[in-house]
Amino acid sequence: MGSRVKIQSGYLGKAAIEVKAGANRDTVKSLLEANKEAGIVALTGLDMAKKIGLMYHMCTNGVIVTIKTEIPKKNPKIATISDLIPGAQFHEREAADLFGVIFEGHPNPARLVLPDDWPENLYPLRKDAKIDEALANAETAPRQTEAVQAESEGDIVNIIIGPQHPALLEPEKFSVKVEGETVKQVEPRIGYVHRGIEKAAEQRTYLQDVYLVERICGICNSCHAACFVETVEKILGTEVPLRAQYLRTIILELNRLHSHMLLLGHAGLEIGYETLFQYMWRDREPVMDLTEQLTGNRVISSAMTVGGIRRDLQETDIPKVKTQITTLKKKMDFYYKLFENEPSFKIRTQNVGVLSKEDALKLSVVGPVARASGIAIDVRKDEPYEAYGEIPFNLITRDEGDSWARLMVRLDEVVESINIIDYALDHMPSGPFRVKVPRVVVAGEAINHVEAPRGELFYYVKSQGTAYPERVKVRTPTFANIPAFINIAEGGNIADVPPSFVSLDPCFSCTDR
Amino acid sequence: MVVDLWFVFRVLVFPGFTFIFFFTMFCDWMERKIEARMQNRVGPAFTGPAGILQPFADIIKLLSKEDIIPSGAKRNVFRLAPILAFSFVVFAFSFLPIDGSAVIPNSSFAGDLIFVMALITIANFFLFLSGWASSNPYGDIGATRVLTQFLGYDIPLTLLALAPAFIAGSLTISVIAANQYLPFAILAPWAFVLFIVTLQAELEKDPFDIPHAESEVIGGLETEFGGGKLAFLRLTRDVQIVFGAALVVELFLGGPYGPVFFGLPELWYFLWFVLKILAVVLITEYVTCLFARLRIDQVLSGNWKVLLPLSVLSLALTVAVATWIYPLVM
Repeated sequence: MGSRVKIQSGYLGKAAIEVKAGANRDTVKSLLEANKEAGIVALTGLDMAKKIGLMYHMCTNGVIVTIKTEIPKKNPKIATISDLIPGAQFHEREAADLFGVIFEGHPNPARLVLPDDWPENLYPLRKDAKIDEALANAETAPRQTEAVQAESEGDIVNIIIGPQHPALLEPEKFSVKVEGETVKQVEPRIGYVHRGIEKAAEQRTYLQDVYLVERICGICNSCHAACFVETVEKILGTEVPLRAQYLRTIILELNRLHSHMLLLGHAGLEIGYETLFQYMWRDREPVMDLTEQLTGNRVISSAMTVGGIRRDLQETDIPKVKTQITTLKKKMDFYYKLFENEPSFKIRTQNVGVLSKEDALKLSVVGPVARASGIAIDVRKDEPYEAYGEIPFNLITRDEGDSWARLMVRLDEVVESINIIDYALDHMPSGPFRVKVPRVVVAGEAINHVEAPRGELFYYVKSQGTAYPERVKVRTPTFANIPAFINIAEGGNIADVPPSFVSLDPCFSCTDR
Repeated sequence: MVVDLWFVFRVLVFPGFTFIFFFTMFCDWMERKIEARMQNRVGPAFTGPAGILQPFADIIKLLSKEDIIPSGAKRNVFRLAPILAFSFVVFAFSFLPIDGSAVIPNSSFAGDLIFVMALITIANFFLFLSGWASSNPYGDIGATRVLTQFLGYDIPLTLLALAPAFIAGSLTISVIAANQYLPFAILAPWAFVLFIVTLQAELEKDPFDIPHAESEVIGGLETEFGGGKLAFLRLTRDVQIVFGAALVVELFLGGPYGPVFFGLPELWYFLWFVLKILAVVLITEYVTCLFARLRIDQVLSGNWKVLLPLSVLSLALTVAVATWIYPLVM
């Protein structure tokens, strides 16, 4: 490709490759040729006054390579890569909504995150978008009613799952076409409660943003905060004290514990196993209490801050934490017995919603979903952050790829998390738990990814040398996993939709950030 | 014509409608309490002592709510089906001997077991109609599931109910109940166990509560119902559960009959009847808590491939044993 390509190694991940707009497809192609298991992590749009920057963050062998390209704002057209990597479809639709990029050759360029009655040609993340004005003047377009109502054509019944539905704890819409009890087609429409947090982050200082991004997701809140502060620390070049790294690790693992246990209980509810649900949530309660003891809050822990952590661990807390997690670990034996032996549980989850390794790679799924399909990815192992590099733990994978395997991966990870916390408490270094950092962040940009309970969480932050970030991009794990839901639901039984759906652990407040 | 006050009292108060209603409410409370304790919860706790009045509160709440008929619904069917379903179950109940004789004295006739089973089938059919009449996709699917499930399980249930009939040598419920010097649960344990399993499916309880799978079909056939009609649907379900337990008691556990220590035998019979029903409710609740919900196709194939052949076998075994072995022993 010669002069069209400029490679900068060690920047924006392992390397940043700058290419001309026409060459983005070729670069992705050659990347896929070099590594068949490469996938897309995120597609970041960037308003650069007269141009729109596009960054394809690709993942190969666990590290991120960024392909940078620029297109003119007047004629924002670029060739799609979703035929090369089907997992890129949703990323491109999102960039089309927020930046007005036209992806030529995209199979389904419909709106994804913006509401149906959002004015045409108003792209919220462009810096020159006059949103208040446009919304005040806009004639509200009629809502697309035909898609909202459940209609039937012949033998095919259109069932709308959501936005309000007992199987979903959060509002999101899926229209499912059903013939008899067989699912024919699934069409997700996310964005029902989109809050524009990426835009809001640009209008707040870095410190305020820590608390803002924490509210993207109530369950994996610490992961969002940790990922954001790490990105900012990368731009600043801050060295975080070791004690803070260990404390962060403990809080992140408590976060994982409570998220996984919440899901395992919820899975019971979805398949009509109320007893499992009640038991699991009872046993999850001590984890919440521990989070409160260590951070002061039960749910939104607000423990992370740029440069360290906000609250030190008291020596007197350590034995309390240790007894609680030891009890929890003992209780896990009961759940292993249940998950592995209970026939009605197995019959509902085994061989249900199978996601093959090939499909998982094509759709670039992340986290426990990928690991249950036999893909050994885990950011904690691939690019260790915080104290994960020093703590021994196992990377859990299973080969079955069904709902049962996805739940079992999480059960295994609960035990691993307990071991990590135990190890971190035993090897807790002394020293400061926070360093002072300037409020104004030097100009620069950085990416970062952490392993949230649901999978890889990705952040991109660009600073212009002020106290406010220029751009904050968040790619949540559920956003990457929704294409997998379409894949596993189609052709299956309608009664299998809840268990296979819940086994992906979808979080829509993450998706609608 | 002289109105027989005793007859009116029996039909309306005891052991008729009023008793059945209050007893159903009590069983509902007990079920919820058992389920809660098994799941490490408290269960109803605030309405009345230990929450015993909670089922009443629920019914009163529903009755006081606005009663809506969706514009697309088939109005008359939608209105009548829940009430008819409820009436049929209560009517079926009145053929069971509760305090030694049935609700309507001398109402039992040869073959009333078949008649009662038919009544229950009709009640289920009205439940299907109520969901189908609501013109809602979830209601449709829920109703279809009720129909599919009870079509599958009605045949094994009837076949299994014939086992006690063969041992007793009669198709009359009161005769079957009265003839159990040894409960038939001991004489034909295979039929008893299968009957409990089938009943669990017939009553749509876990692992067979597919028509109520809220994560799949929202409220199922109840989706469009509210107010008084929903109250009747709920009541139908509750009475069905108690009726199912009562049927087990009559067919396998010796009916209301038991040792009489002193005083009126009717009072003792009544006491035994209630205690036996509560024992059956305990068993079904235990099973409910133990399993996850199966899928409709799994339930159906299990029914046609496993339960139906098993119930035929059980019948054959019972006939053989009742004809050749029990006469030698007794």
